Amino acid sequence: MLDDETAFLGRDKCAVAGIGQTAFARDSGRSVLSLATEAALKALEDAGLTVDDVDGIVRADVDTVTPYSLAAALGVNNLSYWGDTGPGGVAPCMMMGLAIGAILSGQAKTVIAFRSLNGRSEARLGGSGQRVGAETVGGFGTYDEYYLPYGLLSAGQTFALMAQRHMLEYGTTAEQLGAVALACREHANLTPHAQMQSKPLTMDEYLSARMISTPLRLFDFCLESDGACAVVITTAERARDLRKPSVLISGVAGGAPPDRRAGMMFPVVTRQDMTDLGGRRAGETLWKRAGLGPSEIDIAQLYDCFTISVILQLEAYGFCAKGEGGPFAASGAIRRDGSLPINTGGGHLSEGYVHGMNHIVQAVRQLRGEADMQIAGAETCLVTGGPLPVGSSVVFRKAS
Amino acid sequence: MTIHPLFPNVTDRETHEFFEAAAEGRLVFRACNACDHALHPPTAHCPYCGAWDTAWRNAEGTGRLHAWTTVTHQIHPAFPAPYTLVVVELDDAPEVRLIGHMDGTPPLVADMPMEVWFQALPNGPTLPQWRPAA
Repeated sequence: MLDDETAFLGRDKCAVAGIGQTAFARDSGRSVLSLATEAALKALEDAGLTVDDVDGIVRADVDTVTPYSLAAALGVNNLSYWGDTGPGGVAPCMMMGLAIGAILSGQAKTVIAFRSLNGRSEARLGGSGQRVGAETVGGFGTYDEYYLPYGLLSAGQTFALMAQRHMLEYGTTAEQLGAVALACREHANLTPHAQMQSKPLTMDEYLSARMISTPLRLFDFCLESDGACAVVITTAERARDLRKPSVLISGVAGGAPPDRRAGMMFPVVTRQDMTDLGGRRAGETLWKRAGLGPSEIDIAQLYDCFTISVILQLEAYGFCAKGEGGPFAASGAIRRDGSLPINTGGGHLSEGYVHGMNHIVQAVRQLRGEADMQIAGAETCLVTGGPLPVGSSVVFRKAS
Repeated sequence: MTIHPLFPNVTDRETHEFFEAAAEGRLVFRACNACDHALHPPTAHCPYCGAWDTAWRNAEGTGRLHAWTTVTHQIHPAFPAPYTLVVVELDDAPEVRLIGHMDGTPPLVADMPMEVWFQALPNGPTLPQWRPAA
């Protein structure tokens, strides 16, 4: 963590100038490169820029589309910076950091950040059918050999264990998890492109849905989606002169939990406090870098791979005390008329699962004032990345 | 088609001794010889005191049930649902928690005493497993 808040050189120096996305679907019928190309072209068009302006491309480590392939497909002739970050859903917030670093150090002027996946039709992230036929699993520094052979196979089962600990230690209830699912669904119902736009969800339906991995039920799980999102980042000064209102990147921070464990997702079960997220440390750094705190955040897009991850992040980022995430969610605070509307397009639970990137697109829409379910007067937005094994976060701010 | 269970990689340079010990009916964990801190997942370097002097130690094979989940939605042919994953904290080293697989929906209570047993996978390696202590 930085001791001196002024040590961060990036506050409000760069902006998102353009956003783009494809449709979100169960089967896109297209390649991930085609999806990425469409999202990137729409983001450039939105910014009033062309492929000739692009000199940097950043992506998530798990994307199968490389920066070079996307540049080739777009016709980018001046690619001089690229990078990837992660792991997985942690990437989109950290991509903002890569872009800022490249731009402020003079390595790039206009950076595209993207995520593209056929997460339902081609490469399901939930574990279904994975690793069948593999000779052995784990090894090579993954430590998966301690987990997969037992049948601990997926993120959902891992978050189920975290949810159970939260229930045991703090009394968190199924209805409180359900409040997260319902809030996201209500927001999706008001968002035409959301995959669950036409499907309302009641608490009775939430509670009576089938159990997947106790205590998590069907609607505690996010969607599996095909789709792509892209954003264009440039200097705040240049963004001011472009087509759309500027949305500044006020701060970016990643964070690892104090109880560090090697490996990817599964070793969280060995942390002495299984529900303490790296996001807590990310938040502590983020607020210093952005120059504001949780009480000054108008809306938030919290990484909702599962309902429990929202509750844990409400605590980690300081919107409520540890253990009070359930009651906070159930209070209505996270709904559109609450004190901290979250996932204002429906989030991963109900809009679509583009591995965190749709949260950044939604943040920009809200701060421009052009969202489908617009939160009046929203000027600041927190976006968080995937909660395991480390956390990542960004504060976006409407340019004055 | 025969569905093989997911065999662990038992030749990893950091973890192969865990599976070799299991084949001999021993449960082991890595610890630092300099500061006695248990290291899990095991690493060759101790991040607590900086020593490279780490070694495997025998565990008693008893622990406490820290968490569990009953998987009711099957996602892999080798693991028919329902089954229950248990997370057990070792009595010898609370810094170490290990996973066990139990069939069905056993009656479990937080912090209940658990004991290790060793499951030899057919034509494969041996896994330490956990069950409620007798």
